[in-house]
Formats: sequence, structure tokens, C-alpha cells
Amino acid sequence: MAQPLVMMSSIRKQFGPVLANDDVSVTVNAGEVLALLGENGAGKSTLMKILYGFYAADAGTIRISGQPVSFSSPREAMAAGIGMVFQQFSLIPALSVLENLLAALPDAPWLQPRGSTKVRAALRWLTRLAPEIDPNRAVRTLSVGERQLVELAKVLNLDARVVILDEPTSVLTPAETERLYGFIKTLTSEGKAVVLITHKLADIAACADHIVVMRGGKIVDEAPARDRTPGSLVEAMVGRGVAGSLPPPSSPPTDVPLLQVRGLSADIQGRKIRDVSFELAPGEILGIAGVSGNGQFTLAESLAGLVPALAGDVVLDGVSIASRVEDGAISGDVAYVPERPLDNAVVADLDLALNLALRDVRQLDFFPDRKAAFRRAHELISRYDIRPPQPTLAASALSGGNLQKLVIARELSGRVRLVIACYPTMGLDVLATQAVYREMFRQATEDACVVWISEELDDLLSYAHRIAVIHAGEIMGITRREAADRRTLGRWMAGHAMIEAA
Amino acid sequence: MAETEALAIAGSWVAAMLRSSTPLMMVTLGETLTQRVGIVNLGVEGQMLCGACVGFAVAAATGSPVLGFAAGATAGLLLSFVHATLCLGCDANQIGSGIAVFTLGLGLSSYFGRSAIGGKVAGLAPLADNSFADALFVGPILTQLTAIAPFAILVVLIAGLWLYRTRTGLNWRITGESFQTARALGIRPLLVQAQGILVGGLLSGFAGAILSVDYTQTWANEMTKGRGFVAVGLVIVARWNPFLVLPVVLLFGLSEAATLRLQATGLTLSPYLISCLPYLVCLGCVIIVAVREGRIGGMPAELASVFGRRR
Repeated sequence: MAQPLVMMSSIRKQFGPVLANDDVSVTVNAGEVLALLGENGAGKSTLMKILYGFYAADAGTIRISGQPVSFSSPREAMAAGIGMVFQQFSLIPALSVLENLLAALPDAPWLQPRGSTKVRAALRWLTRLAPEIDPNRAVRTLSVGERQLVELAKVLNLDARVVILDEPTSVLTPAETERLYGFIKTLTSEGKAVVLITHKLADIAACADHIVVMRGGKIVDEAPARDRTPGSLVEAMVGRGVAGSLPPPSSPPTDVPLLQVRGLSADIQGRKIRDVSFELAPGEILGIAGVSGNGQFTLAESLAGLVPALAGDVVLDGVSIASRVEDGAISGDVAYVPERPLDNAVVADLDLALNLALRDVRQLDFFPDRKAAFRRAHELISRYDIRPPQPTLAASALSGGNLQKLVIARELSGRVRLVIACYPTMGLDVLATQAVYREMFRQATEDACVVWISEELDDLLSYAHRIAVIHAGEIMGITRREAADRRTLGRWMAGHAMIEAA
Repeated sequence: MAETEALAIAGSWVAAMLRSSTPLMMVTLGETLTQRVGIVNLGVEGQMLCGACVGFAVAAATGSPVLGFAAGATAGLLLSFVHATLCLGCDANQIGSGIAVFTLGLGLSSYFGRSAIGGKVAGLAPLADNSFADALFVGPILTQLTAIAPFAILVVLIAGLWLYRTRTGLNWRITGESFQTARALGIRPLLVQAQGILVGGLLSGFAGAILSVDYTQTWANEMTKGRGFVAVGLVIVARWNPFLVLPVVLLFGLSEAATLRLQATGLTLSPYLISCLPYLVCLGCVIIVAVREGRIGGMPAELASVFGRRR
């Protein structure tokens, strides 16, 4: 049997109190796609960053083609033929594609006239992968998928024998994803090894040869791809039976509306909503579906009272709350989970304890009680399983999923009467998603109105009491979940309004 | 004939424009290169003053304008070393350090320049002697300009080519866009930034020497009259692009030449107001650029860390 290309044995890595890799051993063979499957924080990326020389392992050995190696920097790993494409690209947006490729080329010529053979050599992989990308375009004008291809070409230019892709499909459109699967197959057919870090089962089905499932820093399952079904993989990934769906929340006890939105119009830098009206009973969950960028952000911000209404009103239990957030009268009643929490919901430089206290920032004492804040933070952090569990850490140190948990903990832990959640589960894994839903639905059972903006149509169809579709800033139609069908919702999303029943 | 007269006037305008913009060209190029590696140096005014002072003194003592230029450039280089040490070595705030360098240059040049006040030096010989004075259009240009103007233009063009078409130029631009990425690529970004500051110092000192040795051929306290600060502004107008430094500086020089001409015509407007003209032109450029900012771009991203880098 051929020598394995890479053998990592008994790798151990600890970050503070967290054991990120606990005695992990994997083997990567040439011409094979190894899928590293696991939830956020399972230790997949850490393991591969150790192989890439980004972190040093606390214990364990790495062999490449049988030779023991120890990398102290990515450059040494690259020289040994290990290349990694990260989720965050290391391209420079202001420079052109060609310049980015030249920058990473170890034997780039000093004089770089365009068209010389040595400069052209930097494009050898890119022209194979994506001949349609003009090398003179600035990287900032490229789509995310195109950038990823440039990044991949950059790694391949270094004659990488092992290509590690970190969650490559999470940023791609379906068409781009298909194309990437094709490239991965091309690479393996040329004898390169590909390591695919992912939490998507679709990636596994499309191109994995061998699967390693990680959970909590350990390998929990390992098998050839054909020996596993999606169900068994999910089971291994989350480790508690089949990822059982939550029970749908019970219907609201009364029809008397708690929230009334009447003819609401607003505008945030050209992103408009027009004449939005609906009513919600206490405990009712209204799902808002629609293609993103159709006014969801403006709707959420104006319901939360953060932008002035141009027309119309939002009435919560008889009190108008439109444009009222500044005076603090309603902040205790409304919980808002905005999209992109790092930009919209936390102060990145403040620690977790302060971020968790931000909801009550108007009621804080002149000299805030730090001890009480930390006590509360400890309690919330353990209740919502925010990792790493250190209240003194700056919010910017958290991963996306944990940041979202932080916002959920702050907004939904108390009693509120209106919940506005904008894409609350974007980028979260199965468990974190369920945790978010559980909190949201708990608020509903405690008689809060929930406005839930989402792109997950399946989830809306399973859990929301009613579903509205927004298109170009207008509500195309509202239907009860029982009466909803995907075709009608699809038509509404495409901009065909509900035909009023005669 | 009206046509020859127009050509003669045009020639003398071009000559005046080039003469007054040559020092500015060098200092703007220097600051452009400094900012391309992600560092702002507000001390260029002080470096220019030192270059002017030292350049003048050396040219007067040796009688050689070329030695004067070299000495002025060296003086600027040495002063910029202070900025490099403060910003890169001690992690000082770039704005504060720049202002310190400016005041230091101002003080040093005023103190050591006392004895040189009112002196005279012989600048470089003009490109052509007076027998060409009557040549159409090129006459005034050749007789009024010295070799320093074409040399400066050449330096700008070479710097542009170097920045955009060599590996080291690429390394500089990468450093200016992202310190971290540069480090990851194996470029030593601190070294590149130090080089950028020192090259900027060299060129600003040279610019000062051009001003005192070649343009005015005299030394006076604070003779740069804010040209160093103007250069910091012109860098923005030129979008951090050496090739654009040329037209931007020439436009500024043209309006400066126009100022002198307007005053000579005996216009009754206050001379102080007239001398605002170049700055008004500049202001206009900045506004136009600001309005179209989104489409033009060009600012090195690392400049955003002027107020402190996250490490």
C-alpha cells in the first residue's frame, strides 16, 4: 500500500481551558478528498491550522510522505506542499488579481512588465480554474466566489500537494458551489490531496472520499464516505440522537392584537418599505420570508424604532412605539436581534460582561456595579453556552455563532413583549440554531409577539404561526402556516402579489 | 504677430509653472511614497526647511549647487529618521510625531540659518544660453529652466514605473494596504515602512534644496511657506499615484504662476487674496475628488491605522 501523504498522530492542542484537539489522528492520502465534518468549534480548523504551521501542536507528530516534520510557520508548511484557503481571504482588495498572485509567488521576477513569460506564469492555475476572470481587475470588484478561486489559484501556484479548504462553500452561491466541487475532483484526479473542512452534508455527498467527524476536539467517527448516510453523520456530529425538530409552538390563546403595524413606511439609504400593515396577537410568531435585500433590514430597524417612520405607526399594547427608541420608553419591552451582530448588536472592543449589560445601559448607575455585571454575565454565559466562557474577553474575540448566542442571551433572557429577529440563525450550526429557536419560541409562549425575518423557508413553514412575504419593500401576502404552500410563497417572493379573494 | 506673441507668453507661463512646481513635485512624490507604505509624515515641511537651509549653506560654501542638493537631501533624510524612529521604533502616534518633526525642523533651520540670511548662491546653469531666448515658445523655457526640472519629472516617472512594475514596488503597495498580509507574505513590513519614510525624507530635503539653491537662490526663515503641508494635501488629490502627482502639481504650479502674473498686471485686488488662488484650485480638486471618491478610490488601506494599529 502506498505511503500516506500526511499522517497526523495524537495531536493535542489546548487554548486556555479549552481542549481544541484531544489526541487526534488523521491520515490524508494523495488523490483523495478527506472531509472533516463537525459543528462550529469542534476543532476541525484548529487541526488543519496545526498542519498548516499556523499553530504549534502541544503534543503529537506530523509526517509528510513518511518523514517527520515540524512547521513553525505557514511558510515552512507551504514549502512542504501544504496549502490552505481560509474562510477569510488574505487577498488585498485594492490590488489586481495578477498582483495578488505575483505577491505570493516565491520566484516572482523583480521587473514585472505585463506579458512577460515569468509574469504570465503566475496566472497558470487561474487560467485553468477560471479563464473568464480578467487578471487586471481589482480584487475588490470580484464576487466572493471569484475571490475564492483566486485564493485557490494562489495556493496551487505554490505547487501544493495538499490543499486544505476551510468551509469553502459557506460563502458561495449554488452555481459556484457546483463549480468548486468540479475543481476539487480535478485536483484529486491529478494526485493532489484535498481536505475539506465543512459542516454541510451536501459537501460530503458531492465530493468526499473519506470522512472524519469531529466533536468537542475528538474524532467521533471515521469511515469511507460510501459507508455513511447523512442521518448517521448528523447523529455523530451533534451526538444526541437524530437532530430532532423542536415541537412547533402552540397557537396563541387569543386573537386580540398586541402589536399593530399600520401603513408603515420607512427608508434607510434607499432601502425602502412601503405601507406595511399587520397585526399580531400575544404569543404569535410571524415569519417574514423573502429574497434578502428586499427591505427586511429596514423593516426590522423601523419596527425596533431605530429609524423614523415616514408614514404609519407601530402600536404595541396601545402605545405608539415608532421612532421611540431614543427616549428609552420602550427599550425594556422590545428585544431586537439584528442581522450581522458584530456590526449591529455588540461593541466589539468591550468585554462580554459589558456587552451583556448594554440592554440596560440607560438604567445603569453612574458608577456601574462591576461585580453584579460579572455575576450576571457568568450566569448568562453558562446558560447560553457562550464559548470561551470568559466575561472579561472582548466581544471581537468570539466566533460568529457565539456572538449570536451573546446577543440572544442579552435580548431574550428577560421578559419582553415584542421580539424582532433578523436572520437570527445565519451561519449557525444545527445545535446553535435549535438553541436560538428555543429562546425565540419561549418568548412566544410567554405571550410576546415575535417577528421573525428569515431565509430558511423550511423553518418558517414548520414553526411560524403565520408567514408574510416581503418583496421590494412591500408585503406581498400573509398566510397561516396551515394554508401556506411553497408555490404560492415562491410566487409572492418573485413579486406577484396576493390576489384578493373575491 | 499675435500668434508669435501668444506662443511667447505661453512659453513664459510654462517656464514659470515648471519652476515653481519643481520643489513641490519632489516633496509631493516623497510624501506619496511614504503614504503608500501606510505612514503619514506631517514633518515634511520641517524636512523641507532643513533641506533648504543645509542645501543653501553647502552650496554657498562650496559654490557647487549639486553638492547643495545632495546636502539638502541628506538633511531631509536625517530628520525623517526621527519620524521613523518615533513611529516604528517607539510606536508613537504618527500625527504627533510628524508635528514634532516639523517643529524640530523649523527650529533647527531658523537657528542655524541665521548666518545665511540674505546670502546668495549661483544656481545651476540654465538649459540653454541667451542665444536661444528668441526661439519661439521653447525660448523662455530653455533659458529660464535648469536641468533640475526635467530631472524631477524623470524621477517622478521612474518612481511610478518602479512602484507599479517591480516586485519591490509591489511589496511597498502590499505593506500600505495591509501590514498583516505583508507579514504573512514574508515581506518585512516594518523595514518597508522605514524605507518609505526615509525616501520621503530624502525627496523632501531635496525639494527644499531646489527651492533655496535653484528657485529663489537665497535663504530666508520659513521660506517653504507651507509647501510641505500643501504636498500632504496634493497627495490626496493625486490619489496616492505617482503618475498623477505630475498633473496635479503642475496645475498647482500653474495657478501659482498665475498669481504672480496677476499681481504684476497691477490688479487692485489684495495680493493676499490673489495668493489664495492656488489653494482655491486645490480645494476645488479635493471637493471633486471627494464627491467621486467611491469610484476613484486609491487610499492605501493601512493609512486607516494612523491613529493606532491593532496588534
